[in-house]
Parts: sequence; structure tokens; C-alpha cells
Amino acid sequence: MPFDTFSSRLQPVALAGLKFCKNRYGTNGLRVEEEIDSNISWRPSFYMKPNPALIVAAEVSDSLYPGILKIAGHDVFRFDFPISILLVCPLDVFMADTKQTTIKQLKAHGFGIITVDEGNRAVLQHACIPLAQHLSEEELDSELSGLTPNQKVLFRGSHATYITNEGQGLQGAGQIVEALVNAIAKGAVSEALTSASILSKATADIIDELYSLKDFREHRAALGGARDFAKEYRNTVSHPARNAKQAIDKIRKCRSGFIDAIRISKNLYQVLLIKAYSSRINVT
Amino acid sequence: MKSETSSQLKDISPDLIRRNEDNPRLFFRPEEIDTLMASIKTYGIQVPITVYQEGGHYILIDGERRWRCALKLNLKSIPALIQRKPTPLDNLLLMFNIHALREQWDYFTIANRLPDVRERFKKERGWYPNEGELSAATGLTRGQIRRCLFLIDLPKKYKDELVRELSLPKKLQKLSEDFFIEMERSLKTIQNRVPSAVENTNKARDVLIAKFKTGVIGNITDFRMLSKIATAVDNLGITESRARTSIATIFNADNKIGIEEVYVGRFGLQYDERKIALSIDSVIDYLNTIGNDKSRLDKKLRASLKQLRQAIDKVLED
Repeated sequence: MPFDTFSSRLQPVALAGLKFCKNRYGTNGLRVEEEIDSNISWRPSFYMKPNPALIVAAEVSDSLYPGILKIAGHDVFRFDFPISILLVCPLDVFMADTKQTTIKQLKAHGFGIITVDEGNRAVLQHACIPLAQHLSEEELDSELSGLTPNQKVLFRGSHATYITNEGQGLQGAGQIVEALVNAIAKGAVSEALTSASILSKATADIIDELYSLKDFREHRAALGGARDFAKEYRNTVSHPARNAKQAIDKIRKCRSGFIDAIRISKNLYQVLLIKAYSSRINVT
Repeated sequence: MKSETSSQLKDISPDLIRRNEDNPRLFFRPEEIDTLMASIKTYGIQVPITVYQEGGHYILIDGERRWRCALKLNLKSIPALIQRKPTPLDNLLLMFNIHALREQWDYFTIANRLPDVRERFKKERGWYPNEGELSAATGLTRGQIRRCLFLIDLPKKYKDELVRELSLPKKLQKLSEDFFIEMERSLKTIQNRVPSAVENTNKARDVLIAKFKTGVIGNITDFRMLSKIATAVDNLGITESRARTSIATIFNADNKIGIEEVYVGRFGLQYDERKIALSIDSVIDYLNTIGNDKSRLDKKLRASLKQLRQAIDKVLED
């Protein structure tokens, strides 16, 4: 019988959590209390494979941040396959964290949360993305230093989207890069270095045009980085992984893409400062 | 699989191990498991578990937490001491003794299986064990066995409530085993000393539980005051009707009066006076022993006695 080592209190929680996940992710590849891989020091309470490029694994516990998740997180982060990890816990355990200290910690470390109330109703409190794609707020904060407060706010907004939907989050970060490129282009137009027609072009073409200008010779490194990024992240976001290999590739690209977006934005911002252009950007 | 006849140390797959249905332990607290898991992750399993072989798998005698951690950590093998299959009584007693010498179980865990120990003891040896034999067999002290008896005798409804509470994480628990033990002890005292004060024991339990949960009864040690109210008939010489009225006030669900309030307001002073009278008796006894040999009096004690005399004179002065 599944979950027979659970207490009488946790068994219904596990069953309700499993039912919820079956409805949400399907039953493909469903395994109960079995290993995902011999290299991962964790047997989840259950896991399933909603698509060939994703495993959703759940740990049922009476603890809001069970020690095994810290161990599992370490192994899963390094594992070459996208695995999202959800904690399934009783609602009263979730509610007892009145200051949400542990809940915040759990989210910050990339885990999702499902609660189950006394009536066995399961609710997804917090969605999550595969752990290897997760970018913690601490990492984000350290990457953001050097940007303007407005740019930081924009990246934090994209990050909030990223932690539950990596594609949309990365797209948001890409739009900030585009806005900075546009700001540079506007500056170039105002200095009559190029014609206003540049502003109606696609980002990659704007970058190419700026790149070719003599006045931007000193800034080709920053522009070249932006050009590569624009090409790369668009592909990453637009094309869902069709197999495990592509999924693994996407893992790396999403996370590093978001960090790249911040770093490229810093370089582009430096261009704006040096050229004394307005750094006001609009992201729609 | 070869059948083992004597103890043997082997590395076996956790998947081949089954839990022992006789394991009295009911609650595996996440915080305890976390600590053990972190240690096993770092240092491995240093102490082998104990199992016996049955068919194609092994049954746990000792080490369920280590086995659970091994499964959770996806360990490929676990060191195990394989023993011959014990008799049903030995199977249970082995687990009691292992825990009596090491980390103790919850009282409810023990209480839940003590009746089984008694029955198996009777079946194998022909008679029911007395308290001493039970203590020797299980490794529990007599005091522990008596505390367990309070829980064994609880009506099912309250046992279920206790199980529900104990299965909660520690910080969500409102009622503990100690609460029930203290409450039952005081109720027993009342039943012995002022039987007319408890018409319906379950109703009294319900009120006490409700008052404790709402904070009207502030501490589980307050039940000791309830016992003292019941023994006040003998100890303080108060009338039974006075004790009964006081207990009835506490057992009344319609008020918000707790044990401490009743005790301090109606009995506290008398108990304090009784305590002081007993202290004075021992001072007088001591002084009588000294007699006229004043040299035996320590300087400090002499000064204290002088102070006491002045205080007494002041109180008794007309």
C-alpha cells in the first residue's frame, strides 16, 4: 500500500497531494516512493513525468522545510534533467509559520508548495520551476548591483515571473535589454548619428546598425553581447524543449540567459552613461 | 536466500526490509528524522540495524528510523545484524528493552503496547506479570509503568484525541501526554477522596480539556492543586462539602474559573499555614534536641532565631 510508513495524519495528506498532482500533471511516469536516479540521494514521496523534458517530484511532510529537501536540492540542482520539487504539507503546518519565514526560505530555494486542509482539499500555494533553472533572490540581488533603482525594479518584476514561469520571466528580462538598446538608439538619433528609421527596426537590426557606427566603436563589446543575447534568448523562449537533450539545454540557457540579461543591461547602461543619453526606459 | 541461524552482520538493501508490525513506536517526528538524516548523509549508518529473516525479506527489530532515513536518502545498502526470529513476546520485549536503554519512547507508545506485553507474557509463561515483573521484562521503571497506566485506562475518545495531538508537529500540539497523566492523577485523587464531586468523569474531563485549551487552566501542574483541594478534607480538616463546592466550580463549563484561582482563593493560605506549622515543628524539635548546650548553636543560626523571636513577638503582641 502506498505511503504505509506515513502517520495516520499524513497518509490522507499524501493521497490528496498525489490526486492533485495527477490531475495537474497527469500520470505519465508516475512512481511512488521510488528513486528518480541512483545519483540523487532522495526518494521522493512520488513523482511523475508530465512531458519528456520534465519531472515533477513531491515530498510529503509534516515539516515545512524537511531536511531531505536540502539534501535533495543539492543533488537535483546538479542533475542533468529538469526536476521541479513540490512540498506537500498539511495546511495547519503552513499556517503555523505566521511570519512566513520558512515559507519564504522554501520559495527562495526554488521549491513549490501544496497544502492539504482537513477536508483533504489540496491547493497549490506556490508554483515552481525546475530547480536547476532557479535563480535565488540572493543571487539576483548580487547581480543587480550597479543598475539604476528603476532597472532593478524591472528585473525584480521579471524575476518574480521567472520563479514560476521561466520562459515568461526570461522574456521579461529580454524586454529590459531591448528597452536599453532602444534608449541608446534614441540617443543616437537625437545626436543625428543615425536616422529616426532605426527606431522602428527589430532589436537585432538596431544593434547591427549601432554596431556599424563609428561613434559606437568603443561600445562594440556591449552591443555585440546584446546582439548574441537577443538571438539566443528568443530561441530559448520561443521553442519548447521536445526531448530530454533540448530540455537540458534549455535549463542552462534559461538560468544563464536571465543572468546574462542583467550583465548585458549593466554594460548597455554604461554606454548610456558614457554617451550622456537618457537612461529612462519603457518596458511594455 | 540462505536462512540465518545465528547473529550475522550483513549489508542489505533497504528495499528488502519490512517494518515490524509489533514496533510500539507510533510517532516519527520530522525534527528527529531530519537530525538523523543529516548525520547519516554525512557519516553513513554507524550503528547497524537489527533484523530477522522471514521468507525473501527481513523484518526490523531495531532501527526503524535509520531504515526510513536509508530509504529516503536512496541508500543502496544498510548494515544489519541478522538475528534468528524471536518469539512473539521476545519480539516485543526486545524493542522495549532497546528503547529503555536508549532514547525513550513517548508514554503513549509504551502504554499502547503494555497490554500486549501482559497478554503475551501470560501466554508464554502462564501468569500475568505483576508490576515488578513487568518492570524487569520491559526495562521500564515502576514509576514509568504507573504513568502509562493512567493513559491505558483513558476512555477511547480521549486516547484518540491524544493520538491526534501527538501526531501533530510539536509546535502545533496543545495537549500532551503529561497533560493527560496529570489530569487523570488528579481525577483519581478526587474519586478517592471526594467521590461525590465527580458525577460524570468524562464530563469533567471535557471541561478540564476545554479550559486548558482556552488558557483558563494555565499550566498542567495546576492539576496538582486540584489534587490538593481534594486532599484538603484530610490535610486541612475542611468539610467535604466545601471541597465538593470548590471542585464543582472548576468542573463547571459555564464559567471561566481555573484551578489556580480556586486553590489560591480558598485553600492557598491554609496550605501555606500548614507548611509553616510543619516548619515550626521541625525548628522546635531541633531546639529541643540542642537543649541547654548553647555552644552547639551556630552564630548565623543564633542571629536568625533572634530575628524570628522578634517577628513572633510582633505578630503575637496584643
